[in-house]
Amino acid sequence: MTNGRGQRPWVPVLVVAGCAVLPWVGLNAYHLEVLATAGLNALLALGLNIIVGFAGLLNLGFAAFFAIGAYTYALLNLHLGWAMWWALPVSAMTAGLAGVLLGMPAIRVRGDYLAIVTLGFGEIVRIVVTNLEQWTGGPNGLLGIAHPSLGRYQFGVESRPYYYLSWLLVWIAFVACVRLSQSRIGRAWAAIREDELAARCAGVDVDRLKLTALGCGAAMAGVAGCLFAAKQGTITPDSFDFIQSVMILAMVVLGGLGSCGGVIVGAVVLSVLPELLRGVAMYRMLLFGVALVVIMRCRPQGLWGHGTPAR
Amino acid sequence: MTWYHTLLQHLINGLALGAVYALIALGYTMVYGILQLINFAHGEVFMLGAYFGLSALLLGQVTGPLPGVWCWWVTGMMLLAILGCSLTGCAIERLAYRPLRRAPKLSLLITAIGMSFVLQNVVMLTYGAQDRHIPSVMPTIRWTVGGASVTAMQVVLVCSGLVVMLALHLFIRRTRVGWAMQATAQDPVAARLMGIPVDRIIALTFALGSALAAVGGVLFGLYYATVNFHDGYLMGLKAFTAAVLGGIGNIPGAMLGGTLLGLLESVGAGYLSSQWKNVFAFVILVLLLICRPRGLLGERVVDRD
Amino acid sequence: MRQLAWLLAGVLWLTSCGPREPVVKIGFAGPLTGDQAAHGLDLLRGAQLALEEAQRQGPILPGHRVELVAMDDQRSPTQAVSVAKKFVADPDVMAVIGHLNSSCTMPASAVYHTARLLELSPVSSNPQISRQGFETFYRICATDDVQGPAAAQFLMDQLQARRIFLIDDMTTYGRGLANEFARAVQEHRGQLLGHEGIPQGEKDFAPLLTKIKSLAPEAIYFAGMYPEGALLIKQRYELQVPAIFMGGDGLFEEALVQLATPQAAEGVYLTTLGGDIAGVPAAQGFVRAYEAKYGAVGAYSAYAYEAMNIVLWAIKTAGQKDRAAVLAAMKHLKEYSGILGVHTFNEQGDTRNRIIGIFTVRNGRFTFVTQVVK
Repeated sequence: MTNGRGQRPWVPVLVVAGCAVLPWVGLNAYHLEVLATAGLNALLALGLNIIVGFAGLLNLGFAAFFAIGAYTYALLNLHLGWAMWWALPVSAMTAGLAGVLLGMPAIRVRGDYLAIVTLGFGEIVRIVVTNLEQWTGGPNGLLGIAHPSLGRYQFGVESRPYYYLSWLLVWIAFVACVRLSQSRIGRAWAAIREDELAARCAGVDVDRLKLTALGCGAAMAGVAGCLFAAKQGTITPDSFDFIQSVMILAMVVLGGLGSCGGVIVGAVVLSVLPELLRGVAMYRMLLFGVALVVIMRCRPQGLWGHGTPAR
Repeated sequence: MTWYHTLLQHLINGLALGAVYALIALGYTMVYGILQLINFAHGEVFMLGAYFGLSALLLGQVTGPLPGVWCWWVTGMMLLAILGCSLTGCAIERLAYRPLRRAPKLSLLITAIGMSFVLQNVVMLTYGAQDRHIPSVMPTIRWTVGGASVTAMQVVLVCSGLVVMLALHLFIRRTRVGWAMQATAQDPVAARLMGIPVDRIIALTFALGSALAAVGGVLFGLYYATVNFHDGYLMGLKAFTAAVLGGIGNIPGAMLGGTLLGLLESVGAGYLSSQWKNVFAFVILVLLLICRPRGLLGERVVDRD
Repeated sequence: MRQLAWLLAGVLWLTSCGPREPVVKIGFAGPLTGDQAAHGLDLLRGAQLALEEAQRQGPILPGHRVELVAMDDQRSPTQAVSVAKKFVADPDVMAVIGHLNSSCTMPASAVYHTARLLELSPVSSNPQISRQGFETFYRICATDDVQGPAAAQFLMDQLQARRIFLIDDMTTYGRGLANEFARAVQEHRGQLLGHEGIPQGEKDFAPLLTKIKSLAPEAIYFAGMYPEGALLIKQRYELQVPAIFMGGDGLFEEALVQLATPQAAEGVYLTTLGGDIAGVPAAQGFVRAYEAKYGAVGAYSAYAYEAMNIVLWAIKTAGQKDRAAVLAAMKHLKEYSGILGVHTFNEQGDTRNRIIGIFTVRNGRFTFVTQVVK
C-alpha cells in the first residue's frame, strides 16, 4: 500500500468496509459528526502534506485556502443557486489558483521566511474576509448555505451522509496523493525537498514544480472548504484563523511528513482527541503545545514518517 | 483641531507604540543574528513581562496611583519582569532549541510554535482568560503640546525605550561580552576556536533579548493598563515585521524598524482605516520578505544554507 | 493503521453506551473557556441556581431526576454545531439553554430545529436568528433591532447629540447592533460622521480616537464587548476627546469601570437588554441567593436564571419526558412572569417583553437612568 510495508491488497478493502459499517454499529450522530470533521481534517492534512511533506515548502497559512474554498461555494450557492456538486471543482480551482498566485512571488523566499510569508497571507485573507462585509457577510459570515442533496435525498443536518462523503473524498485524495508521490512529479518534489540547488542543477524546473505543489495542496483545501460550508450551513471567518493552520500542520507532522496514510491518522487523532478530552478542555491548548515540543524533540518524523522532515 | 494638530498627535501616538515594537524587535533580531531562528515564542515572553509587572503590583497590593514613589514601583516591576523573562528565555533555549540546533527548519518552527502555545496557556491558566487590569501607578498627567495631547506615560515609554536601547548598543559595542556576541553571530565556528563559550553566549543572547522584551512588556502593560494572554501573538508578529523592516540581525535596524512601523501604523490607521490596520502590518511584512528581505539597513546574518 | 481505526471505533462505541437512569437533562451551551468564559460562567451559574431552587421545591417531573449538562462551545461556530449535535444525540436532553454568542447560536439553532429540540437563548441578541423561522428557537432578551434604535433615540433626544461616530467590534453581535443603530440614526435624521470597526483583542485605539477627535462628534457609540470598550473609554479620556460615550449591553460588566479607570468611565452611558433588576422586587430574592453562593451578580446571570425557570416550567407542563411535548408546552405558553418581567413570545420566538435599560457610570458604579419599552 504505502511506506513499503509490502503488498497486502486486502488491507484497504477491510479499512473501507470498516469505515462503511461504522455508522451502523452504535455510533450516534455526535460520533459521526466528529468523524465527519475528522474526514475534512484528513483532506486538509493530505493537501498540506503535498506542500510541506512532498515539496518541502513551509506553510503556516493553509487555512486561507480552506477559507477560499468555503466562501467560493457559499457565494455561488447564495447568489447563483449552485449545488455543492457543481461548486466542488470550482472551489478546488479558485483555491488552487490562490495557491499559485501566492506562490509566484513567494517561492524564491528562503525557508523560514516563507513560513512567515504564508502566515501573513493567511492572516490577510482572514482579515480581508472579515472586512468585506458586502461580499462575505463580514464577521457575521454567510448564512443559509444550502446543504447538498442527492436526487431527492437531502443531506440536511444529519451527520451520516457527511461522514460518508468526506471519507469518500479522503479515499480519492489518498489514492491521488500516493500516485502523485510515486510519479515523476513526486520524485522531482523529493529532489527539491532534499536539495534544491542540486535539483535545479539536475534540470528540474524547481519554480514550476513548487507552484504545482502549492496549487495541488491548495485545491485539496478548497474541496474541503466547499464540503465544510455545505455541512455547516453557516461560515464565519473565525473558523479559518492561525490556530486552524497550526492544527493542520500539527496533523501532518504528527502523522509523519510525506506519509499519506500517516497524515490521515494524524488528522483522526487530533480531531478525536479534543472530544475525548472535553473534561479537561481548559488544558487542551497547553497539552497541544507541549505535545508539539515533545514530538519535535523525540520523534520529529512523526508516527508514520520516514526519514527526516523537510529542510 | 487643525490638520497639523491631528498629524502631530498621530506622530506622538506612533512614537510611543514604536518604542514598544523596537524593544521586542531587538530580541528577535539578536536571536536571528546568532541562530537564524525566528523565535516564535518571543512575543509570549513579552506578554510574560507584562504579567510579571502585574504580579509585582499584586504582591505589593497596589491599587491606584502612587504619586511620590511611582518611580520605585516601576523599577521594581521591571526588575521582576527582567528576572522572570530572562530565566524563561534561557529555559526555552535550553529545553526546546538547543537539542534541535542541527534540526531542519520545520522542526524548529513547530517547536517554537508549541512553546508559544505553552507559554500562552500557562499564563491563561494562572491568571485567567479575561483582561487583567494593571493599576496605573503613575498619576495621569496630560500636557498639551502644540495642540496635541501627550501623557506622562507616553514620555516615560519613549524615554525608557531610548535609554535601554542606548545601553544595549553600548554593551554590544564596548564590552568584551558584547564583542563575543558579535563574533558568535558572525562565525560561530571561529568564535569557538577563539575560546568563546558559544553555548553560554547564545544563552546570554536569549536572556538579553528576553530582558528587553520584559521592559517592553512592563511599559506596554502600564501604557494600556490592561493585559491579556493573547497580546503576545500580534505584537510579536508586528515586532518581527519591524525587525525585518530594519534589517534582521541589525540592532540599530530593529530600533529604526520599530519606530518606523509604529509611525506607519498610527498614521495609516488614523488617515485610512482602523479596520484594515492589521492588514497594513501584514502586507508590509509579506512585501518586505518577498521584495526586500534585507530590510532598510541590511541584514547581519551569516548565510548558512 | 487498521488496528487504530478499530480501536477508535471501539472506544467511541463504548462511550456511547452507559447506564440508563430515569434522568431528564437540560443542556447548557456557552463559552466556558476562552476570553468570554466570564460571561459563560455567569450564565451557567444563573441556570444552576434556578435548577437548585426549583429542585428544593419538589420534583419537577415525577419519577425523574433533572440534571444540567454544560458544554463548552468555545465561542466557535464549528464547536457550537458539534455541541448541538451532541445534545441532539442524547435522548435524555429535553431542552437546551444557549448559546451566548449570536455567531454560535445561529448555526446551532438549525441543528436543534431539525431535531425538534427546544432551544431557549438567554442573551443572543442578533435579530436574524429568530428570522430563520425555527419554531424550536426562543429567546428572552430583547434583540438588537430594539436595542440599537433605543440607544440612538436616547442619544439624540435626551442627550441632544446628533453628530455621532459609530464603532463596532466586527463580530456578529457588534456589527449587527451597529447596523441597527446606524439605521435608527439615519431615520431620525441624525448625522453619522463615520462607522469603523476594530478587531477584537486590539488595544491601541489612539489613531482611531485621534481621527474621531478631529471630526468633533457630539457622541461616540460603541457596539462591542467590555474589554475593547474599556480601552476605548480610557484612551478617549487620555486623548481628551470631548464626546459622550455610549455603548451596548456588551459593556455591562463590573470590570468595565476597573479596566477603564473610574476617572475615565465617569459619565459613560450604556444600554442593557432588560430593565434594572435591582429595581424589580421579584428579582431581589435571586440577587441575594446568587450573591450568597457565587458573589457579585454577573451581567447575564439573571437571564439564564429566567431561562432555566421557563424551561423547567415547560417540562413540568409537558408532564412527560418527550421533546415534542416540551416543545408543545412552550408553544402554548401564554405568559410567564419572572424576575425580568412578563414574557410572552411571538411566532418567531422573540419575547414581546422588549425593555431596554439605560445605565450610566456614576462614581464608579452603574447607575440606572431610565428604561425604554418598545
